[in-house]
Amino acid sequence: MAQIQDNKPLFIISGLMILYALLASSGILHPLMKYLHTAKTADLQVTMGFIAGGIGILGAIINSVRKPGTTLIDRFVLQPLPGILMILLMAMAIRWYVEPVVKLISHSLQPVLGFKIYKVLNLNYVILGLLAGVILTNTYGIPKFAQAGVKCARFVLKMGVIMLGARYSFAELAKLGTYSIFLVGFFVLGTVFFVLWLGGIFKQPKTMTGVLSAGMGVCGVSATVAVAPVVKARSEEMAYTIGTILSFGIICMFVFPTIGHMAGMNAVQFGAWAGTGILNSAQVAAAALAFNAVDIKTLKVAEIFNITRVLFLPIIVLVLATWFGKESGKKLTFKEVVIDKFPIFILGFLLLFAMSSMGLFSPPTHYKGKFIDFSYNDRTQITEKEWETLKKAVDTGTIKGLTPEQMEAVKDLVAQRQIAGNYEDRNDKKLFYRQGEQRMFQLEAILAAAKAKTIEIPPDVKAAIKHAVKQVHKKSKTVTTLTDCMIWFFAFGLIGLGMQITKKAIFQAGGWPLVIGVISGVTKAALSFVVVLWLVKDVVLK
Amino acid sequence: MFQSLLLCTHGTAGARQAEQLVFATLCAAAPDIRITVLTIIDRDWQDMTGDDWLNSSKTHAAFLDHVQQQVQEENEEDWQRIRRTYPAAAAATFVSVVGPIEETMAVEAEKRGCDLIVIGPHRKSRRLFNLEMDKGLRARTDTLLLHRLLPCPLLIAPLHPENGP
Repeated sequence: MAQIQDNKPLFIISGLMILYALLASSGILHPLMKYLHTAKTADLQVTMGFIAGGIGILGAIINSVRKPGTTLIDRFVLQPLPGILMILLMAMAIRWYVEPVVKLISHSLQPVLGFKIYKVLNLNYVILGLLAGVILTNTYGIPKFAQAGVKCARFVLKMGVIMLGARYSFAELAKLGTYSIFLVGFFVLGTVFFVLWLGGIFKQPKTMTGVLSAGMGVCGVSATVAVAPVVKARSEEMAYTIGTILSFGIICMFVFPTIGHMAGMNAVQFGAWAGTGILNSAQVAAAALAFNAVDIKTLKVAEIFNITRVLFLPIIVLVLATWFGKESGKKLTFKEVVIDKFPIFILGFLLLFAMSSMGLFSPPTHYKGKFIDFSYNDRTQITEKEWETLKKAVDTGTIKGLTPEQMEAVKDLVAQRQIAGNYEDRNDKKLFYRQGEQRMFQLEAILAAAKAKTIEIPPDVKAAIKHAVKQVHKKSKTVTTLTDCMIWFFAFGLIGLGMQITKKAIFQAGGWPLVIGVISGVTKAALSFVVVLWLVKDVVLK
Repeated sequence: MFQSLLLCTHGTAGARQAEQLVFATLCAAAPDIRITVLTIIDRDWQDMTGDDWLNSSKTHAAFLDHVQQQVQEENEEDWQRIRRTYPAAAAATFVSVVGPIEETMAVEAEKRGCDLIVIGPHRKSRRLFNLEMDKGLRARTDTLLLHRLLPCPLLIAPLHPENGP
């Protein structure tokens, strides 16, 4: 009986998920979903509700009838399950309800404020999820039953990066890798030495500047955690440094996407800038998804920069260990400094990249544009900005010279936010796909006419149509599934990571670490912004 | 009146006023009083890894081991300072315990049969604007929570004017 009581939260969460799936499948929620523009994902909502809820109920029953043990299944599945399902429930609620409501509120407040809050603050499901995690942990606290599950967030985020490996081609990796090695190499090493130099100028202890230089230069708190034992940092140096890096990173996470949009950066430029200038690597992923959560281009670029930075971590640890060893006369082993600090998940990323490159997930024909995907999902949609551009163009009649069929195709694109057949015909797959193909043909005809200069359309409208056509080109099912899982893994991981950001850690910021941190952080962000805009050009990404 | 006293200190300016109250004032009035100097290693150090997701659990464990070792070394330095400053501290027992601040105070006071707990006054934090760094982790005692847990009377050292409001 006591065990059933212990598993009450798991029963409740799983029950809620199943109940939601039942309501969603019955159609009761359809008007609400339509109002919130989430009706297209109704099938996914039902499937996820049933699967996650079913697993939860099964886990709760097993936990109730047998004594908790220390087996791998206990430690990695049964004990963290309540926390995992709690975060998943939060992710589902945020993606399908909170984000659309925030968008609707922003739209209604626009006449009063003159701008859309969600656009300025980039309040998409990723940022909202992270904020929800931060708010929960700093108000009510993480419920005891969920604590083991929250710890899984780090693992889940690594899984997201590993899966992302399947989305790169050799050409992309070569091009982005070259950019990242030069930029990250310059800015990582530059910031590390800049902080050490500032520390000398301000006459600060080397233990403090050592730990701060790693954090500001390489990958934020992760680098601080890795370097602190190596340079034998004092307690206040660790506390002040972590507080400074954490707060600076959180500010960057909100500010970077807004500046990126204002400066008109493309996905590659923003990914490169975020991957170089933002301190904490989790915040790089969040900022990339905040910049654009529909298209994973930005995330792909940012993660390459992130991975390059992470690969610099053992090198920086080695440099600082050598520098500190000389000062103190202590010697550290190669294993302690480099092998133990090597991020093993990057091997997983490279493995997925290799498997994808060998064609294990996607036959070569899938990349020749023969296969088109008109199904309803986030990946086939145009971005919010593109949708607004098209809607405005249709409403104001700025697109001229189109045939009635072409105009209909544009209007339908505005109505459905993607190229697709008629929504009411979605169950008749043949008809639905034929309608979608006809619309795509009309849109491609508009692009061809614009290229031949027989019609004139505004460049942003042309770009939106081009993107819509590109979005429906079919990828292999395996790659698509991996991408969908990856997006959910990132959303899940960032909620969990948000739960590990406490106000107590943030409020440790202050003293000389704050002064040196702000000078070096702002310099790095500003310089990398200029360099990225100057040097980084668009790279064709699939 | 009091037989055994628990002095909670972590070496900050406020805590030093509690030290002064105990060793300079109370010990002069009651030299036979048993004193335990308690330094709590804040359990919230565990949360200081923030949003780090890259490091392995081994690196996290190495970080937390380093924190514990470092804080213990710093506590030793602090206890030496107390012994040097106050001759009466020579007979005191010095202990450090890892845990949440309020609960640890209450549990240690009860475990050691203390009949009085002494802590420093509440001070405004000037951490953000002060270039000089305070020792350790910035942590506040939640007095409301402590009041609920107290097994014996609590004495708060008065605030010295030079330490600000």
